Amino acid sequence: MSTLAPHFRTVMVNSLPLEVLEHIFSDITSDKDRNSISLVCKSWYEAERCCRKSVFIGNCYAVSPSILIRRFPDLRSVTIKGKPHFADFDLVPEGWGAYFYPWAVSMAKAYPFLEEIRLKRMVVCDESLELISKSFKNFRVLVLQSCEGFTTDGLAAIAANCRNLRELDLGESEVEDLSGHWLSHFPDSCTSLVSLNIACLASEVSFSALERLVARSPHLRTLRLNRAVSIEKLPKLLRHASKLVEFGTGSYSADMQADVSEVFVNVSQAFSGCNQLKGLSGFWDAVPAYFPTIYPVHSKLTSLNLSYATIQIPDLGKLIGNCLNLQRLWVLDYIEDSGLEEIANTCKELQELRVFPSDPFAPGPNVSLTEQGLVAVSMGCPKLQSVLYFCRQMTNDALGTIARNRPNMIRFRLCIIEPRTPDYLTLEPLDTGFGAIVQHCKELRRLSLSGLLTDRVFEYIGVHAKKLEMLSLAFAGDSDLGLHYVLSGCESLRKLEIRDCPFGDEALLANAAKLETMRSLWMSNCSVSFEACKLLAQKLPGLNVEVIDERGHPDTRPESCPVEKLYIYRTVSGRRFDTPGFVWIIDEDAASTPYSNGNCSLASS
Amino acid sequence: MSGGPMAIVKPEMKSYIWLETADGSIQEVEEEVAMFCPVICRELLQNGKGSSKNCAISLPERVNPANLELILEFCRFHQVPGRSNKERKKHDEKFVRLDTKTLCDLASAADSLQLRPVVDLTSRALARVIEGKTPEEIRETFHLPDDLTEEEKLEPLRNMTDDPRIRLLNRLYARKRKELYDRKKLKNVDAEEEPRVDERSVDDLLSFINSGDQDSKGVRVTKNKKKSRGRKEQARNLSSNNEAGNYNKESNCHTSGCLNGDTNDGSSPSRNSKLQNSPSAMFSSKLDLDDFDIDDELDPARKEEIDREVEDFARRLDSVWPERIQQILSLGQETRRLRPISMNGNGSMKRCTAGVDLG
Repeated sequence: MSTLAPHFRTVMVNSLPLEVLEHIFSDITSDKDRNSISLVCKSWYEAERCCRKSVFIGNCYAVSPSILIRRFPDLRSVTIKGKPHFADFDLVPEGWGAYFYPWAVSMAKAYPFLEEIRLKRMVVCDESLELISKSFKNFRVLVLQSCEGFTTDGLAAIAANCRNLRELDLGESEVEDLSGHWLSHFPDSCTSLVSLNIACLASEVSFSALERLVARSPHLRTLRLNRAVSIEKLPKLLRHASKLVEFGTGSYSADMQADVSEVFVNVSQAFSGCNQLKGLSGFWDAVPAYFPTIYPVHSKLTSLNLSYATIQIPDLGKLIGNCLNLQRLWVLDYIEDSGLEEIANTCKELQELRVFPSDPFAPGPNVSLTEQGLVAVSMGCPKLQSVLYFCRQMTNDALGTIARNRPNMIRFRLCIIEPRTPDYLTLEPLDTGFGAIVQHCKELRRLSLSGLLTDRVFEYIGVHAKKLEMLSLAFAGDSDLGLHYVLSGCESLRKLEIRDCPFGDEALLANAAKLETMRSLWMSNCSVSFEACKLLAQKLPGLNVEVIDERGHPDTRPESCPVEKLYIYRTVSGRRFDTPGFVWIIDEDAASTPYSNGNCSLASS
Repeated sequence: MSGGPMAIVKPEMKSYIWLETADGSIQEVEEEVAMFCPVICRELLQNGKGSSKNCAISLPERVNPANLELILEFCRFHQVPGRSNKERKKHDEKFVRLDTKTLCDLASAADSLQLRPVVDLTSRALARVIEGKTPEEIRETFHLPDDLTEEEKLEPLRNMTDDPRIRLLNRLYARKRKELYDRKKLKNVDAEEEPRVDERSVDDLLSFINSGDQDSKGVRVTKNKKKSRGRKEQARNLSSNNEAGNYNKESNCHTSGCLNGDTNDGSSPSRNSKLQNSPSAMFSSKLDLDDFDIDDELDPARKEEIDREVEDFARRLDSVWPERIQQILSLGQETRRLRPISMNGNGSMKRCTAGVDLG
């Protein structure tokens, strides 16, 4: 008999002490693994949920705050995504939903030790921000990516009350800029900042407050300024922040009165003091004359975002040409084919390339950027795995070449600006080109199609794209067969977003069960009837079927009439009650009450 | 090690202490090694135990001679001063190259002895064992029961074509259908014609979904054997939403799978001609062909085994099912989760089987 009988019984979980099991779990952080652990058996489910620290919620309506809190009693970090991706293209009407406030209220009560909140495409009001700032004593990280609904007053509350704030990242949010003085609300005692991103703010922040803040933040590693900060102010900031790793400039041109050469020298010197700098962004209103200021650091850069810089070849090429270690490049199409060819020759570490259109509404090409540029990069950059490319012409051959060169492609988003553009040489659809992409790139997880496409391309996708998780379609396909191929073939599909495609009821109903294995489906301006929506809602209780229609009551139109927009997502928390007047959520017993239109209340479910 | 009743001071001037594990066996260990364990240390210093065989330190019951040996080996290595960090790290990496069971055992023992470094090492090693595995694989590795109920599984639904329960259910239904088919065959002199053309309109099909009768349609599906071998693998991977839904009499919820299964008859239905152009495999239920063929290919012993499995399964299913139906009918909307084989996204299938508590 042991003389060392414990004072309390050690809880054993299938022959392991609970503490040890929790210790093992603490070393396992990926969401996927945590999910797997929780599905093993009852005791592991219990152990896992009690010690889970971080949760990712891909769709804020898939689960409710109360369910979250009931299952995970001790979270420190929460990440929530709200509106569907097509909201970025103004396809989700304002007022649709994704309110953060109910979450803030519930979490304020349940998680006093919460440290991190990351939101994407959610509506966040000032009250939420105030609540956050006052409820969580150890609050450290606030990331608001593409959010809206708050003002600088809310930011002032965060600045004033979060004593240990490390990260404040406003992403690309829409902030109502009431005053630049919110920055002054950071108390003098606040020295913990590691990351500050205010690039999205329109008006001027108090520069002296900013300067003082930077000066007393020895741990600052990421700083992204807004456009209002002009270039001659940079040295003052960089002097205090020599350990910066990521820096976003403001406007990269000086005031009229400034002495250009003085500014030039000061900024160059300032940059040379930042020997840990790896990433640069900003560069609004960039003037080529100032580019050499970056030369002290540009060979060490791994990330460069020039998507606001309207500079052209050859200055642009000269700038990038020396960035030998570049892994990530975002640039406007001013780079042209010649610039991309240069990149293909020099940037051998390139993994991600995004080329944005400088003038998408121009009737014809305003720059010489074609499929050749992308082909060149695909040939010259062996590590290229993520592409977003806006252009005006493409060929099947080019796509085939890209596919064969880069079988390691993971994200491929091609946006040919004019819808339904065929292969410009053969005038054929781009089916075989994209077919080659999915056939060769077996690890492909995200794909956006464009150009002239028939059902064939979907057949290829259904057959080959087995790891595809997200697919975006616009103006593509001929018939339901196309949608059917995708839904029945793409095993890993989680998100499908479709606009202006001739897909109707048949494929959707035939593959209804598939929808329960996906996070969400978005279809706008397609041919899905209200009748089919009702049927889906009836047959699949685990889904919310939302009809978004600004033309009014679905009843005022025949049932066979196509709905404007359709958003279907799986959920464990039932229908939501914060819908606006133009969203109709179909209840399961559609026989009695075919649809209901909830009130615009913000009560938590 | 044999020793006298008193602590023996060996020629090298080391002193030894006595440890006793829960199974009664006693061993002599160098004091400096054993002291590495906080619990042993405390017993020796505070309670004065361990100096002789008679007052050996009783170790916690989770410590047995096997894991004690490992623990002492660890202590023996680390208590030697002057080793570099690199050396220690290398040793530790080798030290935890053990099978899962031993790792668990060791972690448990070390925890009871409060030997933090070993707990950390083994925990981290076990974390690596767990990472990347599916729940089923983890269960197998650690010999854990599969006892979660549906409501606890808030997991996203997956294509579970490989779930053994689904396979069993499939076989069960395949057999039942085969029986029915055979019986029908005997009844009708003309075997049912394989329908050539599906003349139904979408309305008809939709109303079919809403109706309750499936049997005849279900049988029709099984007749199609026009599946090319090459496509078989592919069909396997598709969400097999046709499977049980085709044959579930109890269900008043009809699967789109029926729509699928029925439009695939190898020919071109007028209305659905476009859908039909797809390789027939895409529509054909994995069930119809596979489960007939599977059985035919097996050797008799395995066949018998499977037969027994299926009978057993059917019996369990039958015994619980009527009660389950009662529950579900009485609870109605509230427990929509517990609706029996509703949509055959295999997740629902999983729901059903889990709800039926098949263990």
